[in-house]
Amino acid sequence: MLIVQDLSIERLDKKIFENISLSLVPGNITILKGKNGSGKTTLLKAILNIIEPSFGSIYWKGKLLQKNLYDFYNHVTYIGDSTSSLKKLTLRDNINIWKKFFISNVNDAQIEIALKTLRLDNYLNKKVGTLSFGETKKLEFLRLIMENKKVWILDEPLSNLDEDSIELMKQTFEDHCGKEGSIIFSSHQNPGIYVTEEINL
Amino acid sequence: MNFLNKIIFFYYREYKLNMSGIQDILTNIIFFFISIFIFIFSIGSDKETISLIGVGILWTLLLLSSTLSLRKFYQDDFENGNLLIIHLNGFSFGFISILKTFSHFLFVQVPFLLSIPIACILLNISNDKLFYLFASFSIGSLILSCLGSISSSMNLMNQRNFLLGSVIVMIFSVPVIIFSVGIINMEESFNSLINILFGILLIVFAINPWASGLCLKLSLENN
Repeated sequence: MLIVQDLSIERLDKKIFENISLSLVPGNITILKGKNGSGKTTLLKAILNIIEPSFGSIYWKGKLLQKNLYDFYNHVTYIGDSTSSLKKLTLRDNINIWKKFFISNVNDAQIEIALKTLRLDNYLNKKVGTLSFGETKKLEFLRLIMENKKVWILDEPLSNLDEDSIELMKQTFEDHCGKEGSIIFSSHQNPGIYVTEEINL
Repeated sequence: MNFLNKIIFFYYREYKLNMSGIQDILTNIIFFFISIFIFIFSIGSDKETISLIGVGILWTLLLLSSTLSLRKFYQDDFENGNLLIIHLNGFSFGFISILKTFSHFLFVQVPFLLSIPIACILLNISNDKLFYLFASFSIGSLILSCLGSISSSMNLMNQRNFLLGSVIVMIFSVPVIIFSVGIINMEESFNSLINILFGILLIVFAINPWASGLCLKLSLENN
């Protein structure tokens, strides 16, 4: 499905990484490992066509990514290192906005179950700005369920999470891969998740 | 159909966001009216003088007040990653800038448009000029929103000097001020001046998605 071939990125004449290749097929989990500043976010942004690579190419369903970009975007959910929920609004408002904007076919009962599993059901009428960073991060994962797309691209998804939440994420990853989904995520630590491919940057 | 729904729900999101920060919109309006009072107090109570320069004052203050809100044009969505998420949901950066420009027009400029009649009473501007003022401000404010979009997107790459963006808007809005004030003071040339203003709108409207879209992409690339 997604093939990254000999990707190199230079910025301001500084080599960030070179000759990175990976392939993502349904059911696969790929982890990008490396220290802070090793280029994990840069690689994820290059895969999303936000950063142009200096060398190498990315293919989606056999075509160059640039020529098949919006089909790729139709199949991908990205969670970055910043939290995208709107802090001035309540959890309920955020969920409503996402549900409408992503034209989600996930029903209210499924959302309620997800909120309970994430232990966020008591905060529905609270403003996101009043939640802790870990809780906001968990709210972000609700987007994965609401967008209901096949490819998940996640930047440091496990940082700032407690042990229970990490365990929950592991389970969610396995479920997603069991449904022919695929995941690329970055981490600077060993997450203890079974991965099919490991890229060291 | 999905794309159209996404546009509708984009504005639903903008509405919710603006309503949650309605104090910002009210602060802009209050700034506008307080500035009018300051002008009146500094000029004096001579009705004729106020009436003579009233339109110029009104336009200058509308310009200054609308530049106050430019900082938030893209900044919040850029910092919390929503710009990227909206892009990944099928909107090109150029298209996002068009949507945001109309959002700025709706939620920042329209409240000014609605407060113009009260400002006219304060500045002793006659009722027969109200139509011309509305016509010129409707087009002029869209031009200001387009210019605001360009300068705010440029500012995302320049976190240190916010005023630079406002300076760019002010320099490029000089022709807008000239023709807009001209429409009200020279009613006999209304048609030709409004056409010129409309022409300026078409030019900035064509440049906006291209320039803003590129700046948004560059700022996300360098973030």
